[in-house]
Amino acid sequence: MSEQTLTPTGANAPADPALAARTAPGGPTTSDPTMGRGGGPVRRALRLRSARISLGILAVVVFFGIAGGALAPHDPLAQDTTNILAGPSGAHWLGTDYLGRDVLSRLMDATGRSVVGALEAIAVAFVLGVPAGLASVFFGRFFDWVASRIVDAVMTLPYIVFAISVTGIIGNGMEQAMVAIGIILAPLLFRVTRAAALTLTRAQYVEVAELLGASRWWIVRRHIWSKVLPTVAVTTAHLAAAVLLSVSSLTFLGIGVKPPAPTWGGMLSSDLGFLSQQPWAPLIPALAIALCAGALNAIADAIRDTTGAAAVPTPGRRRFARRVTRVGSAEPAAAVGAGVGAAPAVTVPAQEEGSHA
Amino acid sequence: MTTLEIGPPAGVTSPRAAASPVRLVAARDLALRLLRSAVLVWVPVVLLATFITFALGALTDTNPAAQVLGETATPADITRMNHYFGLDRPFLVQYFSWLGHALTGDLGRSYYTTLPVTDSITRTLPVNISITVLTVLIAILLGGALGIGAALSGGGWFDRGVTLLCSAASTVPPFVIGIVLIVLFSVTLPILPSGGYVPIDQDFGQWLRFSILPAVALAVEAAVAIARQLRTSLVGEFRENYVVGADVRGLTRRRVVFGHALRNAAGPAVTVLAYYIPQVIGAMVVAEAVFNLPGLGKLSLDAASKGDIPVIQGVLVTMIGLVVLSNLVVNAALLRFTPHARSRQS
Repeated sequence: MSEQTLTPTGANAPADPALAARTAPGGPTTSDPTMGRGGGPVRRALRLRSARISLGILAVVVFFGIAGGALAPHDPLAQDTTNILAGPSGAHWLGTDYLGRDVLSRLMDATGRSVVGALEAIAVAFVLGVPAGLASVFFGRFFDWVASRIVDAVMTLPYIVFAISVTGIIGNGMEQAMVAIGIILAPLLFRVTRAAALTLTRAQYVEVAELLGASRWWIVRRHIWSKVLPTVAVTTAHLAAAVLLSVSSLTFLGIGVKPPAPTWGGMLSSDLGFLSQQPWAPLIPALAIALCAGALNAIADAIRDTTGAAAVPTPGRRRFARRVTRVGSAEPAAAVGAGVGAAPAVTVPAQEEGSHA
Repeated sequence: MTTLEIGPPAGVTSPRAAASPVRLVAARDLALRLLRSAVLVWVPVVLLATFITFALGALTDTNPAAQVLGETATPADITRMNHYFGLDRPFLVQYFSWLGHALTGDLGRSYYTTLPVTDSITRTLPVNISITVLTVLIAILLGGALGIGAALSGGGWFDRGVTLLCSAASTVPPFVIGIVLIVLFSVTLPILPSGGYVPIDQDFGQWLRFSILPAVALAVEAAVAIARQLRTSLVGEFRENYVVGADVRGLTRRRVVFGHALRNAAGPAVTVLAYYIPQVIGAMVVAEAVFNLPGLGKLSLDAASKGDIPVIQGVLVTMIGLVVLSNLVVNAALLRFTPHARSRQS
């Protein structure tokens, strides 16, 4: 599945001779076969088997998230008091819990509730963090200073405690808890976006664009965003995994859900009381959480490895983007139609794009 | 920095060195730097965080007094209670009065029990602090052992095992590790209690028995992160000239690693640790629920379920205080232990 799908197109390519001039001589030397091929960050990542498996897992999760409640073999809330804490059987594939409720049905029904929460939190963090991160680089020192101070402040809050506090003050609900977590995680995305964008502000093509009279907004949209995107995507995927774990922690504590509705965390919580009868029971929801989080992490790693996007700047590790990722490649829809043949768009894609435009 | 001081290992200062004037000046600078960062970073942090929680309380349209007193309360009762807790004052006045009292250690009174919040917190705080300290110790020991072992085995099975463990640990929430530990050490092999607590000042042995499982559960995430970082930086140090030089002069492997390389490689690992301590303090809330510990998290959860805002805010402020304190300690340790950081700062 290597070459045919992923050819660059002129449609989305910016007029960017400076980039071409910068990358063309010698080109980025890519020894890794997965790097440097065409396609957006996601498409390139998909060449890795780990990413395809992970995407498969996530697809299953999304499927159960949407249809799980309807597909469940039993009513997830129906109690069968004659059949409590039963092991796996033909009728109950994963056994029953302490009220005789079917574990498989509860697991399927819980999927949506557990995943949607994480999506909400990530969306809040993304909307708050990424635009502010881009803006902090391009809209003056004062904004930068204020934003960085706020980020420092928010990052010290232990976020589970903060989420508990918020739900305690404004009412217990998934939305409240997730907005709280989103607010706490926004700084991380802010920092990552800012760091990635900062390395680009001094790029020659940005200076050229400025000299040619391009507005800041245009530069951000055209030159910065698509290069920051892989880095942001990596961080977002990693964060999504972390948020999923936080959501399960919170639902374990009973924050964000009304009791009878099943969640993965809530199932763990009720299993905890019956460990001596069913020591294996927590493994089932735990495995669901671990698979989901592991898939997200693997996708993040795949995007990072194939695009050379900087990793989440964990303290002590300083990695910068090894190469400038290509512009305008995030929209594959047009690329398929354009189909400039099977020409492997290797190593000097930018020049090609330049000539198209 | 790369001179061969065949002195004590990292972190242990001989009295001779401490007395030298250079060290004294360095110590003073260090203290000043820490103080400055404390004021510049942490004061706004505490102000902002407390303001956010206060503003949230003010934004809700629910009246705490009506909620606490229940349906039988008369309007006069509600007015009286609002006045007693100062809820009839403007929002900013409430905030600054609360802040002023908080600075003197008075965090207000619970809406429900009218007991001072400070008392409830000081009763539960030792649980959190003692277990956090134990967690950090375990994280350092476990992470250090795994990291050094992985670096020394360089690509061997141990190295790959540690890498595998690292990626597995990041997909499981800490409380699941706690549940697994309970299954292993309390149910299958009943040698440790599955929950409960004995204060450390009452019986240290019993405290350790009750604390070891939660501490290990909380430490795993930080330990594998430390191991991964330590492995990376140790492998980097092994390529440095001073290590080759030490090898050539015939120093034992142990002395090269513990006397020289580790000292330089520890910096990033300590930074990782600093990042994880707040996470541990936060994750402890969930561990308290798993292991049934009477800590700050339980206090906060109980208060949150009732809407006891003074207690919620008090716990949050205390948590922030713990984070700030641990950060200062780690920063001090970082500057103290690692030659790199010291020379970069000065």
